[in-house]
Formats: sequence, C-alpha cells, structure tokens
Amino acid sequence: MSGVRAGSDALLGLAGICIALLAWEAAARSGAVDPAIFPSPTQAIAAATARLGLADVAGHAAWSMARVTGGFLLGTVAGVVIGVAAGWYRGFGLVARPLIELLRPIPPLAWIPLAIIWFGLGEPSKLFIIFLGAFFPVVTAAYHGVTNIDPGLIRAAQTFGLRGPALLWRVAIPAAAPDLATGIRIGWGLSFGVLVAAELIAADRGLGYMIINERNTGGSVGVIIVGILIIGMLNLGTDAMIARAIDWKIGRWHGN
Amino acid sequence: MTRPATQRIVAVLVIGLLLFVWELAVAWGWLRVYQFPPPSRIADGLREMVTTGFPTGITIWSHTLTTLWRILQGYAAAVALAIPVGLVIGAFPTLDRLTASVVVFCRSVATLSLLPLAIVWFGAGELTKVVLIGYGCFWVMLSNVIAAVKQVDPALVRAGRSFGLSGPRLYREVVLPAATPRMFAGARMALGVGFMVIVGAEMIGTIEGLGALIMEARSFYRSEITILGMAVIGLLGFAISGGLGWLQGRLLPWESGLDAVRR
Repeated sequence: MSGVRAGSDALLGLAGICIALLAWEAAARSGAVDPAIFPSPTQAIAAATARLGLADVAGHAAWSMARVTGGFLLGTVAGVVIGVAAGWYRGFGLVARPLIELLRPIPPLAWIPLAIIWFGLGEPSKLFIIFLGAFFPVVTAAYHGVTNIDPGLIRAAQTFGLRGPALLWRVAIPAAAPDLATGIRIGWGLSFGVLVAAELIAADRGLGYMIINERNTGGSVGVIIVGILIIGMLNLGTDAMIARAIDWKIGRWHGN
Repeated sequence: MTRPATQRIVAVLVIGLLLFVWELAVAWGWLRVYQFPPPSRIADGLREMVTTGFPTGITIWSHTLTTLWRILQGYAAAVALAIPVGLVIGAFPTLDRLTASVVVFCRSVATLSLLPLAIVWFGAGELTKVVLIGYGCFWVMLSNVIAAVKQVDPALVRAGRSFGLSGPRLYREVVLPAATPRMFAGARMALGVGFMVIVGAEMIGTIEGLGALIMEARSFYRSEITILGMAVIGLLGFAISGGLGWLQGRLLPWESGLDAVRR
C-alpha cells in the first residue's frame, strides 16, 4: 500500500517538475520574458556548453564539494565531541554552554571578515566558515540529545553494571542518536549555503566563484542559471544521501 | 540538575574571565592587536560608532536600521505570499504531491547562489537584497505552512465534522487554528534564514548595513569594528528570536492545549 503511494507520489512529483520546466521554456520561447536575461532551460544549457567545458564545471564542483565536506566533517566531529561532553560532564557543560550560547546567534557568514583577518584569503578561512555552519547545529543537537535521555534508560544500564565511558558510549550516545542525526542534517544544509556565499565573496575557484565570475565578466546568464541549478541539485542529492545513511544507521537502534 | 542561578553565575564568571584574559594576553603581547582587538579597544570602537560612525557619518544605528528595514521588507512580502499559497497547496493533497518536488528543489537552491542572477535582473541596489531575503524566507515559510496544514490531527477534523462543520468553515475554524503553531514556528525559522541571507548579501556592492560594515571595517584594518558589528548582529538575532518566542507564547495559548485535553 505505502509502496504504491510512494510510487505515485514520485510520479506526480516528476510531473510537477516537468510542468514547471515546460512553463519556463514556453515563457522564454514565446517572448513573455526576455531570453537574454532569463533564458529557457534549453537555451541556458546551450549557452553553458558553449562557454564552459565539462572539465571546467567538474573542476569547480569538485573544489566546492571538497571544501564543504572538509569543513562539515571538522564541524560535525567538534560539535559531537563538545556537545556530548557538555551534556554528559556537568562541570564542562557549565563552562562550555555560556560560550556556545554567546557565539551561536552570530550567523556563520558574519564570521567571513574575521576569518580573513585570522586566516588570510586562502582555504583555511573558507574551511573555518563552513566549519561554523556545521558546528553550531550539531553541538546544540548533541547537547540537547544527551541531556534529554530517559533517566530510566540510564538507571537500567547502571543496574547491569555499566558506568563511566562504557555507559556514555554504549547507552547515552545511541539514545541521543536521533537528535544528533537532526543536527547533522541541518548542519549539512547550513554548511552548503555558507559554502556558496563564501565562494561568492572571496574565492578563485568553486561553483560560487564560477557564477559570480560569469556575472562580473559580463558573461552569459545561461551559465549563471546552469550553475545555480547544479548547486541546487548537489545540495538536494547530498542531503538525500545523508538522510538515507542516517536512516540506515539509526534504524537499527530506533524502530522507525 | 544544576540550578539556573548557579548556571547564570558561572556563565557571567566564564565570560568575564575570558574577556579579562583576552585583554591581558594582548597587553602582554601573546595575541596580536589586529587579529584579536582587546575588549578595551572594542569599547573605543563602540564610542566611535555611536558618535562619528564608520564609514564617517554612518553610525551603528543607521547601519542597524538599514539592515532591519531590508529584512523586514523581504520577510513581510515572503510571509504574506507564502501563507495563502501554502494554505491552498495544503488543502488539496493532489496539488501538494504535484508541487512537493518543486518546493523541495527551490528550497535546496542556496539563496545566495541567486545573487549573481539577482544582480543581472535587478541591479546591485536595494531590490536585489530584498528579493534574496524574500526568496530565502518564502520557501522555508511555504514548506512549513504546507506541513502545518497536513499535520493537523485528523481527530480534530473528525470532531469538527461531527459538529456539522464542512468545507471552508471547517478549514477556517478547525484546521487553521490547529495549524497556526507550526506556521508560527515556520515564521521564526524564516526570519532566521532572512537574517543569514542579509549578512551575506550586504557583503557585496554596498557600504551600508551591518554586513557591509564588518566587511568595510576589515578592508580598513579596523578589526575592532568588525567584531563590534558581529556582536550587534548576534544581539539582534538573539533579540529577534527571543522576542518571537515570547510572542508565540502570548498569541497562541492553545498551542500545547491538545495534550492537556487528552490526558
């Protein structure tokens, strides 16, 4: 039943996308919008293939993905370690929480100038910004997850003789996993948004640079549109992969 | 659990100690003044920002107001558009399934990646920034409105039907109030997105607004003003999300009501 439902959902979703693309194509072809500033999908792709080689685009995309993956991994690891520790060890939590709460309301992009002051214009400053994008959602979720574990669960484990790191590792972290997963997905989305912005403002390669450079050199709007669509699809695809991986990993501990 | 009073005292102590060590570390030459402008220097920066402003003539107040005004325009337009569209999509399951993938895709497009396109279409002025904020807020708000309508407890709808409500009246008197808390949560989320977008959008092609301020200050080696601007941005974000949370509690007292009724 649900399989049939999911299948028809996907079909309708595909139909929706096709309708949107056809309407867009028709608007540009009929002259309702000026193709020079708003080309249709086929015109945009034609312009992009004329101006850019596949290797160029792949190179920019690879740089972007390497940056966002690196920053995201650093931010996630730091967020999990600090968030779990702050939730589990009360003394550390007392000290770490005010600092996190103090810095959390500052959007990652607002760190760009300071990142340049600290790390210069190279890769480390971009990694730092993306790191922040992942760190704050993950650290918040990890802290929340560990502090909201059902006390009965912990007591039951203690009755079985678990304590200290074993209790943390074998009971607390699996119990906090759904919260961690939510934080990680939000963190990935934020890292990705931050990546593009960082590449627009200060970079010499990457997809964000590719599109802002096209506009600065007075190139084709088609290239910009194709770039935006590639960024969107990469974001969507990677998010779906992470969701799948989380389901697969956490499904073992949690029944849904 | 540690008592809130203890937490607060420790928080003040930790932050106070940090500022003190920071000041000392610069005074003793462990940290460079340019990279880590000490709190005393930031205080001087604040005095300058309040009186003469940076760049000269633009005080911290007018930067803040410029930023807030840009957010408000884009945000208000996005919310005003997303609520009716979302209510319609949420009301018709087939329409929802047809549009779902388009909504998800548009939401996945990083808002700032639209910046080059927006500049081509609307120039580098105010409109571009407002449109970008509007775009970011709109899709977040829209998906929350749709989800809010879909998540309304079917028991409520059945109860409404038993009382003889149907069609638009059922929608207005049962579905809408039940969907409001989630919609409000979406409105909070959307504002957060707008706040993120504006900081990035202001870093290109303008000298007014908080995002421009922190970027300009860096180009003129005024790192203390950069940090000051970041602090103002953080405070604003904190005040806005706190204020909306408070408003939510005041305006929507029935939000947690259903659980209480069930018990």
